[in-house]
Amino acid sequence: MNAKNSRIRCVLVCAAFIGLFSTFSFRLIYLQAIKHDEYAELAAEKHVHKQIIHAERGTILDANNEVLADNIPVKTVVADATLLNDRQATVDLVSSELGIPSAQLAEKLSSERRYIVIKREVPEAQAVALRDKLRAANLRGIYFEHDTTRVYPNGSMLCHVIGFTDFDHHGIQGVEASMEEYLHGQDGFRFIEHNRAGQEIVPYRGLERPARDGYQVHLTIDLSLQNIVENEIDAAMKEYSPQKATIILMRPQTGEILAMANRPDFDLNLRAEAKPEEMKNRAVTDMMEPGSTFKIVAASAALNERKLRPDSVIFCENGLWNFGGAALHDHRAFSYLSVRDILVKSSNIGAAKLALSVGEQRYYEYIRRFGFGERTGIELPGEISGLIRPPQAWSKISITRIPMGHEVGVTPLQMTVAMAAIANGGKLVMPRIIKSITTADGKTISSLSPVVLRQVISPETAKEIGDALRGVVSDQGTAAAAAVPGFTIAGKTGTAQKVDPRGGYEHGKYVVSFAGYLPADHPEFVGLVVLDDAHTSKPELNYGGLIAGPIFSRIAEKAARYLDLEPHEEIRKAIPVERVEKTMPAERIRKPGPAERIALTNASRH
Amino acid sequence: MNRSRRRNCNTVNAASLARWIVVTAFLALAGLSYVYLTLQLYHLGERRKAIEHELATLRTQNDIASAQIAALTSRSALQRRLKEGYLKMVPISEADIVRLTVPARAADDDAIQPVANPSGAK
Repeated sequence: MNAKNSRIRCVLVCAAFIGLFSTFSFRLIYLQAIKHDEYAELAAEKHVHKQIIHAERGTILDANNEVLADNIPVKTVVADATLLNDRQATVDLVSSELGIPSAQLAEKLSSERRYIVIKREVPEAQAVALRDKLRAANLRGIYFEHDTTRVYPNGSMLCHVIGFTDFDHHGIQGVEASMEEYLHGQDGFRFIEHNRAGQEIVPYRGLERPARDGYQVHLTIDLSLQNIVENEIDAAMKEYSPQKATIILMRPQTGEILAMANRPDFDLNLRAEAKPEEMKNRAVTDMMEPGSTFKIVAASAALNERKLRPDSVIFCENGLWNFGGAALHDHRAFSYLSVRDILVKSSNIGAAKLALSVGEQRYYEYIRRFGFGERTGIELPGEISGLIRPPQAWSKISITRIPMGHEVGVTPLQMTVAMAAIANGGKLVMPRIIKSITTADGKTISSLSPVVLRQVISPETAKEIGDALRGVVSDQGTAAAAAVPGFTIAGKTGTAQKVDPRGGYEHGKYVVSFAGYLPADHPEFVGLVVLDDAHTSKPELNYGGLIAGPIFSRIAEKAARYLDLEPHEEIRKAIPVERVEKTMPAERIRKPGPAERIALTNASRH
Repeated sequence: MNRSRRRNCNTVNAASLARWIVVTAFLALAGLSYVYLTLQLYHLGERRKAIEHELATLRTQNDIASAQIAALTSRSALQRRLKEGYLKMVPISEADIVRLTVPARAADDDAIQPVANPSGAK
């Protein structure tokens, strides 16, 4: 009996032990296996920290690698109010060093928060000096966080194209915004452990991923040409005090934007002070009625459809034509003009008849083929498509008003691209502002090649229009003042009455423009000058040919010099060989042929 | 027999002793090496941190210098200095410009082609 009882007791004790240890085992498995991740995370939170390795935002450079946007290291001064050992002394020292009113700082530090931003964008030298002083005074609780700030060495130059970033270094305007994906690098990280003093224990470093700095973005902008354009637009603002102004230079074969300037403008380094109106890149975000520069579309359509020849004669109604119950005027009374002369003399009636010759639907198609009414696709944010209504929405007289650049809204860039199509043998190219994207050590990530969108008109028609546009910049044309000695220029003036937001047109206010290219035979660049509401001493001087034309001429002359373009042959012949030889030092005179003996185009303009 | 037993009892097993000494010495050495290497690890970690800090400082200084150079050599800055009279530009006179004929293009695309004006020619 006893033996039996003792066996039972043994079994019970064993069972109790088995049960106890099984419970321990299950608990162990539960903690180590099932809840492993949760507790591992909790443990890591206690002493493992994720340290951010900051990536630098990429720089923006011009076509010749001149820096347009760069980074400068700064510090953000923060405080942990729970660690301040001498609040008053800290307030006194920090406020005097950072130039913050001590009352304001004392209020900030009065709370018990662990993260208080005292000041952002503190220059590195100032931060180092403050840190040394805090250490010397044995004051704790103030920290310095790494940060960078974007600097724009050229200030306001090219401000609308470059754009700027916000506090978090995200681009919010211009190329900074459109190329955000490439400019913004990828922060890296490193898991570290701290000791009791809060210092990193380096051997215990965990997983680490290095930062990838942002890529460098190279623009097609040539800062030398941009400088020429900026100086001229400033001079124009001073002389004519227009409400707004835009100048664009573009390479017609590739669509590269060589220069783009708008007024009003703002300093990128003082962007906080800029007004919204100053920040608009009007070349792509504003639309205007282009005026007579738009006549190239009607003429191109008529010639390309072979309805007319350049020398076909059209009756221009002696300056007044009643069509659809409304009168259409010319600025002068013209009787018969050839298609070519309609452009040269800028006849509204002639242009209307050209459009009528192709019909509403075909004319509308040509407008669209020139790229009006759709975004050009340039890598700039906020581009608008303009306003081109379909023929179904036209009034009876629209076919006579649209050819002279009324009833349509186009952006300055669209107008430049359309003129570039004429200069480029009828090929419409997509404008580009980004040349390439590279790494900091120069490895190319992406290089953009020209995109030909379509053949708008035949090369023959483009040549015919080009020939007519040469006449515009002649003594017989409307833009004699746009001429550049030594070069043949093709171009078209535009003078459009300003649209009144309340309806109709504003009396005495005009948008004057000139779009042209140089040299006319092998265009190196297309340029557009637009001045909105220019002020002249006399109202009769407020014409595209008299205001925008000369501005274009000055820009084109300087740009031709910079691009080292050879002057036109006829000018070479016009300069006596003796004069050239006389002005050149003897040692520099080789034995050149007549074609080599030239004077550059710094002859004074007449 | 007794004498023999006594001799046997007092015998020190030299081989075993040597083995233990070697093992103990090895363990001691291993322990000391472990401590030494651990300390070295910490020491090198501190050095690494110091060098990283130094590199970061140098990089910061370099970035600041680069930004300052970019600012001082920017067109706006140079133009301002020109206006203030710190710089002077002499216009190139007509007589000082010599235009060279454009050299004939080499037949082979890969051939070396001289460039007369790399910065100006577009």
